[in-house]
Amino acid sequence: MYWLASGLLYRRVISPFHKLDPRVKLLISMEFFVLALVVSSVVAVSLIIVAIISVAAFARSLKRVGRTLVFSMVFAALILVFNLAFGLGVLKAVTFALRFIAIIGSTSIFFVTTSPDELEQIMKWMKIPRDIVFAFVTAVRFIPVVMLDAFQIMDAQKSRGLELERGGLFTRVRNLVPVLVPLVVNSVIRSGELAEAMESRGYGSTPRPTSLYGMALRWYDWLVLIVSFGLFVLALYIYHSYGLAY
Amino acid sequence: MTQIEFHDVSFVHQNGARALDGVSLSIEKDELVGVVGENGAGKTTLVRHINGLLKPATGDVRVGGVDTRDVSVAQLARSVGIAFQNPDHQLFSESVEREITFALRNFGFEESLIEKRLTWALQFFGLEPYRKSSPLILSGGEKKRLTMASILAWDPEIVVLDEPTVGQDALQKEKLVEIIKELHSSGKTIIVVSHDVEFLWSIQPRVLVMRQGRILDDGACSRVMLERDLLEGARVSQPQLVTIYNELRRKPERPFLDVLEARSWVTSGVRP
Repeated sequence: MYWLASGLLYRRVISPFHKLDPRVKLLISMEFFVLALVVSSVVAVSLIIVAIISVAAFARSLKRVGRTLVFSMVFAALILVFNLAFGLGVLKAVTFALRFIAIIGSTSIFFVTTSPDELEQIMKWMKIPRDIVFAFVTAVRFIPVVMLDAFQIMDAQKSRGLELERGGLFTRVRNLVPVLVPLVVNSVIRSGELAEAMESRGYGSTPRPTSLYGMALRWYDWLVLIVSFGLFVLALYIYHSYGLAY
Repeated sequence: MTQIEFHDVSFVHQNGARALDGVSLSIEKDELVGVVGENGAGKTTLVRHINGLLKPATGDVRVGGVDTRDVSVAQLARSVGIAFQNPDHQLFSESVEREITFALRNFGFEESLIEKRLTWALQFFGLEPYRKSSPLILSGGEKKRLTMASILAWDPEIVVLDEPTVGQDALQKEKLVEIIKELHSSGKTIIVVSHDVEFLWSIQPRVLVMRQGRILDDGACSRVMLERDLLEGARVSQPQLVTIYNELRRKPERPFLDVLEARSWVTSGVRP
């Protein structure tokens, strides 16, 4: 599970891609996302996936993004089966399945390379209300903590003879109750304690708090922004002008 | 009879941190063992190997002669009960009695035996008044006792207590000392992981001193706790009684005037 969850978690890595302004990373991610939605041929969507993998390799995060892609293949297989079952045709069914993988990959690449601090800056830049930004970023920041809690709870329950990997689907779901109840209770307690600690340190005392960090586009940010947007427009143009039968 | 054996065991966490480094150790049946060391010394990692929650990267761990790699955690748990440090990580049932009987049902105990063990656990840990209460409304100390009750209810041969004194007041600590002594005299192998040297001193276990995944020393509490340099190296403080004893032994001609003077020496190392 840790193997899977870490596919969507930020990890500090020294790479040129990580150094980019978070808005540029968001733009690249959105470009992949939009392209995955717009194109509808197996070859075109496959090319987008290859491009995502290339960017992940450039960002030295191929392992992490790869995990997400591998996991999304499970759901992609389901999409494929359902579409085939409803008589959509092999090519369209495969396109939909690949599109799902591309969409997941495009979001993974953003979250794996963007720290919670950068996420906060982007949301503030978008003029999203401060409380919403704080709630969202805190939720993202606490994912590893909750994961750690979940593993410790699982260990504690396994030590009392609970076998999570045994039995049919219904039994397995029922066996999760001893894990989920303490996890939710702990999370609720933690959120209450966090709120009290934040208020004790003056959170909300001023309507416009200052920020320690700011965002500024540097020359290479502009360069990547222009090149990536140019490639995005070019890709759309080629696809619509020439099309791809498969 | 050797009950737990570690042969040159090493373990590396997923983040690359080496938690155990060539640990070799054997624990006899009926032994009372205390594990001390600074945070991150490898104490909890060591005990998690005993019920197979963690498997060694190299070397092997044998419990009752069985390699922990060859059996599941649930199978090992029948003979190894671990009470984890944070009680909130295991309490989930709607009542104290259900919490205690959870493991017994997992292990397939008969109803008559479950009732018998439940009654014993409630009385032994003073939880009878809370039998029908939700575990979540209990105080920190009561929760801690409940986790121990839920482990001891199935009568495991080996009992591991991870930081049992956290959140316990002085009276509960005294009770805990009595509980551990009673369990020990009933023939159980007990392993206590703790930073609380005063508590360990009062139960006088065999002490393992750990640092950076290695066992620095292993011996009787009355000897190990006198090894000042060793304990300082492992960032473990000596029991206050030992510190005072050492000072009195160093200057027998000048006894302490009062308890405050003794305390000043213990806390600052400077004798007024």
